[in-house]
Amino acid sequence: MDFKDYYALLGVAEDAETSEIKQAYRKLARKYHPDVNPDKDAEARFKEVAEAWEVLKNPERRAEYDELRRYGGRRAEDFQPPPGWQSSSGAYSQEFSGDFSEFFNSMFGGGFGGGRGRAAGGFDMQGQDVEIEMPVFLEELVAEQRKPVEYEIPVIEGGQLRYQRKSLNVTIPSGVADGERIRLKGQGAPGSGKGPAGDLYLHIRIVPHPVFDVEGHNLVLAVPVAPWEAALGGKVVIPTLDGRISLSIAPGSQSGQKLRVRGKGLPTRDGRGDLLAVLKVVMPPQASESADALWRQLAEQAAFDPRKEWEKQ
Amino acid sequence: MQAKLSLEELCAGQGLSRSLVVEMVEYEVVRPVAGERDADWLFEAGAAHWAKRALRLKSDLDLDWLAVAMLVDLLREREALARENAQLRQRLARFLAQD
Repeated sequence: MDFKDYYALLGVAEDAETSEIKQAYRKLARKYHPDVNPDKDAEARFKEVAEAWEVLKNPERRAEYDELRRYGGRRAEDFQPPPGWQSSSGAYSQEFSGDFSEFFNSMFGGGFGGGRGRAAGGFDMQGQDVEIEMPVFLEELVAEQRKPVEYEIPVIEGGQLRYQRKSLNVTIPSGVADGERIRLKGQGAPGSGKGPAGDLYLHIRIVPHPVFDVEGHNLVLAVPVAPWEAALGGKVVIPTLDGRISLSIAPGSQSGQKLRVRGKGLPTRDGRGDLLAVLKVVMPPQASESADALWRQLAEQAAFDPRKEWEKQ
Repeated sequence: MQAKLSLEELCAGQGLSRSLVVEMVEYEVVRPVAGERDADWLFEAGAAHWAKRALRLKSDLDLDWLAVAMLVDLLREREALARENAQLRQRLARFLAQD
């Protein structure tokens, strides 16, 4: 495993005061924290910085680290702690320490992983929760069919952390919204001893649809219509998530006008939302001499100025 | 299948102490959706994620709960706005001529 130079990671001298180290950590945390900086590299960088601060802020841990640094720090690669090494500042335990490096855990982790989820010592402990992103298609929200999900759960076998594949069929509850989380009790990592299993959380991400947009429980559909359809009205066939239907367009309809089709939206807890059909007047792509003549005739007879509003200003 | 969380479940699932979660509720870092007394509280499934994230922010950035509560509100709002923005952009694109 690689030796981690925590002083270099924080950009401080090895004899720096704790206050100085704290200041360096804070600056870097502000820069690389995953909630502030969405970059993937930033998250990895933040983890290193947080680990360095975790060690250097505690005088006992820092002293131990300094000792190890003198012992093996020069060989940056393939570092091994001295035989029989055990941290005297106590096995590190915190709510979330699973992110720390192998190097950290070998020094302060007191065995596998550290912190919650460590199964050593025969404790009855609830298994870890697992959260996965679940992309959902609009069609799946309507169909009420069970959707297969595959995910990995951390399990401990013979003191070793392993990841085990698990698969489930889940029913997506009616009325679920983009970004919502669904909890499946007991489908997370197995507990240790008599502890119950953790839960599985599905973070719902609605996949953008090529035709429909989502507005709450309603669906929005842009319906292209020819200028004469908008002018004269008529019936057009539109898609819905349940198949095609016929939509009546009133004479003199405008581009941007909304027509509500009840019950053709997304399922809610007690029914269905609506489909909002928004008209979009589209010009024919190619002009022809005969068509131009007809437009010219219309222009002469209609006496219509669509920009009349601007003249008042 | 879709289950709300009791206070006990929220604590056990995230490895948090009861007093810590009660403190988070006092500062409205997480909000129960039902229940008057803490024994009856029920949380949305998303509370597990936000409780964990809030605790991380508190420790990572060395903040007090008041600051964490504000930050969590802003982060939730930012996520909601980003979702809405993506949806509106998609809708807008359907009405603009293709280049």
